[in-house]
Amino acid sequence: MTRWTPRAPIIATVALLSLSRPGLTQSNQAHRGSIVIVTGQLATLPIPTLMEGPALSVSNLELADQLFLRLAGMGPTLLTTGDRGFIPLLARSWSRRDSVTLVFELDPRARWQDGAPVTARDVSFTFERAKNPAIAPRLADLLRRIESVKAEGERRVVFRFSQPYSEQLYDATFHVAPLPAHLLDSIPPEAVARSSFAAQPVGSGPYRLVRNVSGQFVELAANPQFFLGKPKLDRVIIRAAADPEARLNLVLSGQADAIDNVVPPLENIRRIRADSTLRLIPVPSPTVGFLLFNQRDPRDSTGSHPVLSDVRVRRAMTLGLDRHLMVHAVFGPYGEVPYGPVSPILWIRHHAPRAARQNIGEAQRLLAAAGWRDSDGDGILDRDGRPLTLTLSLPNTSAIRRQMSLLAQEQLRQLGIKLDLQQLEFPLWLERRSQGRFDINFEATSQDPSPSGLRQGWSCRGGTNVAKYCNPRTDSLLDQATLGRAGKDPAQAWAAVLRQIEADAPATFLYAPSYVYAVKRRFRDVVISPASSWQQLRLWSDGT
Amino acid sequence: MVTFAIAITILFFLMRAAPGDPLARVSEGRALAPAELATLRARYGLNQPVVAQFVSFVRGLTRGDLGVSIEYGRPVTALLAERLPPTILLGGSVLVLNFTVGLWLGVRQAVHRGRREDRWLTTVSLVGYAMPSFWLGLVLAWLVGIKLRLLPAAGMHDPLLGADAGIAAHMVDVLRHLILPVLTLSVVSIAATMRYQRSAMLEVLSLPYVTTARAKGLPEREVTWRHAWRNALFPVITLFGLWLPILVTGSVFVEAVFAWPGLGSLAASAVWGRDYPVLMGASLLVAALVVAGGVLTDIAYAVLDPRVRLA
Repeated sequence: MTRWTPRAPIIATVALLSLSRPGLTQSNQAHRGSIVIVTGQLATLPIPTLMEGPALSVSNLELADQLFLRLAGMGPTLLTTGDRGFIPLLARSWSRRDSVTLVFELDPRARWQDGAPVTARDVSFTFERAKNPAIAPRLADLLRRIESVKAEGERRVVFRFSQPYSEQLYDATFHVAPLPAHLLDSIPPEAVARSSFAAQPVGSGPYRLVRNVSGQFVELAANPQFFLGKPKLDRVIIRAAADPEARLNLVLSGQADAIDNVVPPLENIRRIRADSTLRLIPVPSPTVGFLLFNQRDPRDSTGSHPVLSDVRVRRAMTLGLDRHLMVHAVFGPYGEVPYGPVSPILWIRHHAPRAARQNIGEAQRLLAAAGWRDSDGDGILDRDGRPLTLTLSLPNTSAIRRQMSLLAQEQLRQLGIKLDLQQLEFPLWLERRSQGRFDINFEATSQDPSPSGLRQGWSCRGGTNVAKYCNPRTDSLLDQATLGRAGKDPAQAWAAVLRQIEADAPATFLYAPSYVYAVKRRFRDVVISPASSWQQLRLWSDGT
Repeated sequence: MVTFAIAITILFFLMRAAPGDPLARVSEGRALAPAELATLRARYGLNQPVVAQFVSFVRGLTRGDLGVSIEYGRPVTALLAERLPPTILLGGSVLVLNFTVGLWLGVRQAVHRGRREDRWLTTVSLVGYAMPSFWLGLVLAWLVGIKLRLLPAAGMHDPLLGADAGIAAHMVDVLRHLILPVLTLSVVSIAATMRYQRSAMLEVLSLPYVTTARAKGLPEREVTWRHAWRNALFPVITLFGLWLPILVTGSVFVEAVFAWPGLGSLAASAVWGRDYPVLMGASLLVAALVVAGGVLTDIAYAVLDPRVRLA
């Protein structure tokens, strides 16, 4: 008892070292034909017509893409207009009867994972459910211009639209993948979410679900009967780690082979780059971040905002920021300044001009023209005794937005604008946002590939137009671009929309980042689709 | 039971009073049409008045039904049942380490008061106590998991370990994943237990009855462990009652750093998403653990002290 011998720590260390011997389990071994992907969240309900409300998550959408095949996929250009930028999947071809009728011919080789053929009835059944607002309110809204979907025989499906417009094929193929009618028509729609089908879906895609270990991982196995060719990777594990640091550690420790977005700070990317077994793959993201200016008084929504209703102030704030510097500081080479509310996956960005550079002189001139001067010499502009002070609201969960806000605060201070940062808990931030209780709100929107979604945020009656930006000319341009009448170039129509929005400056559009994926070098033929990260996984191969 | 009922009632109404809406997150990027919003609100019972929601919750509770998670779309009881075993494994391992190693080291310190061993352990325990567990977790994951590759940096299972690998291989696999999070949580908790045990033991060792035991010629080991330690346990037992719920709620950061699929991470995401049914389920469990901690403490007092009798 008198002489202390550190036996216990020694025994514990020996036990620990023996447990950590490489090869005791398989974790350090390369598993030929398998891939472990780490992501932030696990899929909960990857069934095409059930991804509504809180179930509408990237993880559900991406897993559904492995299990269920769409009629057609988006091509590399992500063009949503016309009928040519799409790749045949369940449908081997399509044609037009007239401007409102689209006919799909299904591939006769297509099979469900239980061996049953994919038929036209499956497609019409799925759209019947998807268009029912009681079952799928989101889809019903997105598919509102599809009047009917009818089967003509076993292999032909006829889509009829309520009006001619340029994104008919996109609407018919992007939003929902067909479900097996022979397995689901006996289950009431409201019971599908809790049925055995939801737990063990039978799809038509390249992979089938093997097991879903709650909170940990989902295991998929290659579908050997897949009619477009058996996937080269036999097994796919999608494991979840909500914390970005944990995700990074899983890849750097060799426990995962791929990660779907290495989030800033840039140090994280440097850590990945230092690992010679990994390669970085930047992919255009659906995200666009911007400072949204409230056009209404946050204290009385019937009145105009006392400062921000003046377009000169809004434009001065945009010109006062060195957005290129800000993007470079936060994203390095993996981001750009957008022209208008356009994320990198929107095809219309290719036809847009470059975003304006910082122009302090012009910003000062605009502010002076609006009556803002530093009359008391305190470094803050004022007008009629009121200092030019604004509040920028942002959620405390976003490190990117926090970093950007600090940079904006400093740059605007040099212009004589005082920006108070208000970091709020995410649900509280959302609540205040939807109520219009903000001066400037730091938004980060995730967009569909279709530019028609811009109506939501930038038209007078747009559902997400919480800042109440309203210009009838913008609405008119949006109408023209969305309908894409014959003979009009859709790219030019959308460019006109963007020019109008930039001129009105309802927001300062700050960043449009690329997502930086990291994948082990042993994988070959790696293609990552911006529209759905792992959609092309069936084409990847293991080079070991 | 009354305490439990009051706690649950207060929790229910406090959660509903907090700002934020479970469906607000859904409408961040895309506006919900009024009909769409109404459908979703009805689906999750959010269209009812708060009192009606409470009555519905209590009715469900009596049947063992905690409702359906808004985020996961699955019964809360099933989610809790899946997340509880990892939490018990992690928290239980920490508790066992805490109340074996921690107590043993605390007693040794007291017995060797003022000597080099005591001074060394005091320094180590103070450093451990002052160390933020999330920071320690990050350092351990980096050093042991990434640089040395001795143990897994995160997770609970190796997903590539086949079902045919055998029970022993699966147990070793879980144990390997368990070591770093347990170590992270234990460093702080053991340090606290050591400090409590040391001071309690010092107090008891100076009492006359211990001197009498030594004067009777009893071996020092028997004096220490049989006579002194028993009476020095009471403050530590109180600590045990307090640790029990903390090990569920207090491991949120460690669960996040090590991607441990426990209740802490589930509750944290439920707070973020205002997933009321999951929040209530997790709160119920914590409330039950608080009550259980109190009851276990009382029982331990009665076992160790003949003057205390349970009513």
